[in-house]
Amino acid sequence: MTYDAVVIGTGAGGAPLLARLAKAGLRVVALEAGKFWKPAQDFATDERAQDKLFWNDERLTAGNDALAFGNNNSGTGVGGSTLHYTAYTPRAQPDDLRIRSEFDVGEDWPIDFTDLEPYYDEVEQFLGVSGPSPYPWGPVRKRGYALGPLPVNKAGRLMEQGCRTLGIRTSPAANAALSASYYQDGVGHRPACINRGFCQAGCRNGAKASMDVTYIPLAMHYGAEIRPECFVTQFRRDASGKISEVIYVRNGQEERLHCKNVFLCAGAIETPRLLLLNGIANSSGQVGRNLMAHTALQIWGEFDDDIQPFKGIPGAVISEDTHRPAQRFGVPTDFVGGYLLQSIGVMPVTYLSQLARGRGLWGADLKRAAAAYNHVAGINILGDCLPYAHNYIELSDEKDSRGLPKPRVYFSNGENEERMTAHADQIMRQIWEAAGARNVWAFPRNAHVIGTCRMGHDPDTSVVNADGRAHDIPNLYISDNSTFPSALSVNPALTIMALALRTADKFLMSERAKE
Amino acid sequence: MTDIRAILQTDLVTEPTRHVLTERLNAPRRQPAFFTADEFALLRAICDRLIPQDDRSDAERVDIAGGIDERLTENKSNGWRYDEMPPDRDAYQLGLRGINQSAELVFGKPFVALSTEQQDSVLKAVQALDSPDSAWQTLPADRFFEELLAEAVENYYSHPLAQAEIDYVGFADAKGWEL
Ligand SMILES: Cc1cc2nc3c(=O)[nH]c(=O)nc-3n(C[C@H](O)[C@H](O)[C@H](O)COP(=O)(O)OP(=O)(O)OC[C@H]3O[C@@H](n4cnc5c(N)ncnc54)[C@H](O)[C@@H]3O)c2cc1C
Ligand code: SF4
Repeated sequence: MTYDAVVIGTGAGGAPLLARLAKAGLRVVALEAGKFWKPAQDFATDERAQDKLFWNDERLTAGNDALAFGNNNSGTGVGGSTLHYTAYTPRAQPDDLRIRSEFDVGEDWPIDFTDLEPYYDEVEQFLGVSGPSPYPWGPVRKRGYALGPLPVNKAGRLMEQGCRTLGIRTSPAANAALSASYYQDGVGHRPACINRGFCQAGCRNGAKASMDVTYIPLAMHYGAEIRPECFVTQFRRDASGKISEVIYVRNGQEERLHCKNVFLCAGAIETPRLLLLNGIANSSGQVGRNLMAHTALQIWGEFDDDIQPFKGIPGAVISEDTHRPAQRFGVPTDFVGGYLLQSIGVMPVTYLSQLARGRGLWGADLKRAAAAYNHVAGINILGDCLPYAHNYIELSDEKDSRGLPKPRVYFSNGENEERMTAHADQIMRQIWEAAGARNVWAFPRNAHVIGTCRMGHDPDTSVVNADGRAHDIPNLYISDNSTFPSALSVNPALTIMALALRTADKFLMSERAKE
Repeated sequence: MTDIRAILQTDLVTEPTRHVLTERLNAPRRQPAFFTADEFALLRAICDRLIPQDDRSDAERVDIAGGIDERLTENKSNGWRYDEMPPDRDAYQLGLRGINQSAELVFGKPFVALSTEQQDSVLKAVQALDSPDSAWQTLPADRFFEELLAEAVENYYSHPLAQAEIDYVGFADAKGWEL
């Protein structure tokens, strides 16, 4: 049997596309390295037990700002990283896609905001995104959010208070978790969020719109087949250069599938790693290059109030006043692009592990800081990051437990990211000071791996075209975080999903044109 | 302090949560399988300084070093490693040796034989890259210290008794939370 499409990976980039192709009547199968969980039975409210949601194959991490992986970066399982994402779903703003036109550095996208906008609308309605309508930033929305905003936790209230004092506008954030129960055809009912705040360790009741409770059931409703615990390793090509077989390992045995088209949606590390392993789709030399990671500095503080930072959707409040700070505040900045501000709740082990790494506290000092856990609240940024030649992934000589070369990932912030972070550090400290924080400390980090198989018009400088199709291989598409030409000043998941639906539609149009 | 065992018996805790937390509470102290007896005693002594548990009876002490031994026995990874560091198993063996050598060079005794103040000064020097060079030629001392500390903290604060110590009750969320 030959499948019309094999989709590799079932995260934010794979699942929506799988559902779209299945709905169009294609014979589709998804190969997913991780397990198919049953959240109500399998998910404990315990960070250690939920380590199973993370991609824990060892990656080597290098550079001045070496990225952490595991629980800081990518997931595995049917649903991919959406199993443990915080479900923060702001849209990109139109100028995010025009960074080169605006600032003469970085890259423009080969598509416009208007290409994404109808898909943003569609994804938000389907997932049941909760958020404020109207939304204060960006172009006027054609449709309001599907549901009203989620309740704001203590960290969110404090951010509102601090920002009010400083004249920074805030709003409840858009989150892909349900503020009321929700029904969609092909999916059924999902219950409302119960504020248990464990989104980053898996949502047990389906309130959070991870792919396993949204686009995956929809895809299955339309006849898609899901094969969990299948790790793809190789592609076979026919005489014309097209991929004709996908080879994967299940239970230690090699199996293969015949296919007409392949959609690679394995995320921004595994997608380029697979291409490099197979030596394909890389005539541009750009596979694994242009790696970007959002600036994501966190500022933590202690408050007199009982905060209980594990309660409520973690990212409750947003401000995009820092999207282009110079325009908003009339004071020139020394960096290009911008960032958003976000309040953050946190689970205890995650917080204390960061405290250990970030502040190096141990002994009595650690115990004292840990005892304040119930009184901490955080605020962070997600900011743009430029692509640099010094940031990339390569295959190392070291083999992992599967016998494949471990990826080595280089990341160092450039001057622009450092300046942006310094700007944000000041603003966030002011906000926390105005809100009454004590013992304020900063945890520098970068989040979200982006851009390792960038899209573009020119086959010499990009890996896929604007439709997500590989320049080198006509029946290979990529749909995940790796195709972004720029990092955007917002969290990526919503844009990945919107782009996935667009890629599916472009593919279906080109198939129809062939008939 | 929160009475964890009592809360775990209530319907405020879901069954999967009760299961994993009860198992962790009742886990016996580990006999090392990866480390030698000497290495393990040294690791325990270090963990006792990083996260003191003097106020606990032996039976109630969280087995931080046991968790490290278990992970290394299974050769499990947390998904990443600093490129400048050797593989985790080698790093731990080299790092423990480095700490002991630092203790010998500065105080003329193995780490476990030092006073707690002396032990703390050895660890501070390792963390701050102030240890005698000869002990740390093949391993960046500060990175090793960071990794060891992070793993110790994660092991400790994953334990229900440590969570009780900081009055954390987030696991009792079967009914969700009102905001
Ligand atoms: C803690 C955390 C919180 C986050 N919060 C947010 C947030 O609030 N908002 C937001 O927008 N983003 C958030 N993100 C980021 C977001 O989750 C990711 O950007 C997004 O899910 C990436 O989508 P993707 O399709 O590129 O990859 P993934 O969702 O990671 O999916 C890739 C899938 O491919 C599978 N796979 C990989 N290799 C193979 C192979 N060889 N064979 C078979 N299958 C394979 C993997 O198992 C995985 O399931 C968060 C991330 C983390 C770590
Ligand atoms: S806060 Fe809401 S969405 Fe997040 S895990 Fe809890 S119930 Fe699910």
